[in-house]
Amino acid sequence: MESPDEKQHEDCGGGGGGSGSGIKEQDRLLPIANVGRIMKQILPPNGKISKEAKETMQECVSEFISFVTGEASEKCHKEKRKTVNGDDICWALNALGFDDYVEPMRRYLQKYREMEGDRVASSSSSSSAAARDQTGAAGAAPFAFHPMDRNN
Amino acid sequence: MRQAGRYSSILVGGISGRTGPHALPLARIKRIMKRNSTAAGEASPRMISGEAPVVFSKACEMLIQELARRGWEAALRGKRRTLLKEDVAAAVARTDVFDFLLSVVEAEARPPPPPAAQ
Repeated sequence: MESPDEKQHEDCGGGGGGSGSGIKEQDRLLPIANVGRIMKQILPPNGKISKEAKETMQECVSEFISFVTGEASEKCHKEKRKTVNGDDICWALNALGFDDYVEPMRRYLQKYREMEGDRVASSSSSSSAAARDQTGAAGAAPFAFHPMDRNN
Repeated sequence: MRQAGRYSSILVGGISGRTGPHALPLARIKRIMKRNSTAAGEASPRMISGEAPVVFSKACEMLIQELARRGWEAALRGKRRTLLKEDVAAAVARTDVFDFLLSVVEAEARPPPPPAAQ
C-alpha cells in the first residue's frame, strides 16, 4: 500500500520540527513529492516552490489530520462508538469551521460508498462481468470490508 | 492549466470504477490518524474505518490547494514567483480557520537546531 514516493523523503534533513520524539519523519508526514505535486497544480506554469515551503505544508497537513481526527475521536467516545468513520470526519470538519470542505467531502464519501458497494457486490459473486450490473444490490454492504481494515 | 488527476474524476462525475489510487498515501494517513484517535481518558486508540483515510485524502488535498493558493497570493504581493515558507505562514495568519496552524508555521520560522554531531 505504501507509495514509492516514500523513498524520496529520507534526506529531508529535519525540516521544521524534527524533535527527538522518536517518530520518524516519514511516519509523521505525508510524502513531500505528493504534497509538492498538489501545490504545483495551483500555481501557474512558471511558479516555483521552495523546499521549505513544501516542508511547511507537510507539517500543516499532518497537523490538520491530527486536529480533525482528535475532534472526531472525542465525538465517537461521547457516543460510545468504537470506530471513527467518514461521517465523523465530515462532522469534525464542520465543527472546526471548514465549511467549504463539508459538502464536497459528503459527496465524495457518498460516491466512495457507492463504488465500494459495487466492488463488494461484484467480488462476492462468482461471475465477474455479469455481477457489475447488479448495482444497488449491495446498498447495505458492510463497506468496513476493506483491505485497509486488517490492522484494526 | 494542469490536467486533473485520476482521483478528481469522482467529484467531476465520472466514476472510474475503482477507489484508488489517491493523491496521498492512505496507509500513511491512517497511521497519522491512529496516533491521534485516543480520546481523553481512554487507554487505546479507536478503530478507523476504511473510508476515513479516503475522506482525508481528499480533504488534505483541498487544504494543500487552499494554502497554496493563498500563499501564492502572498508571493505575488511580495513580487515573487517562488512560493516561500513565509508565504505559507502569511496565508495561515490571514485565515481564521487556520489558527490551529499558527504554532506549526511559527515553529517552522525558527531556525532549525544544528544537526547532531554523531
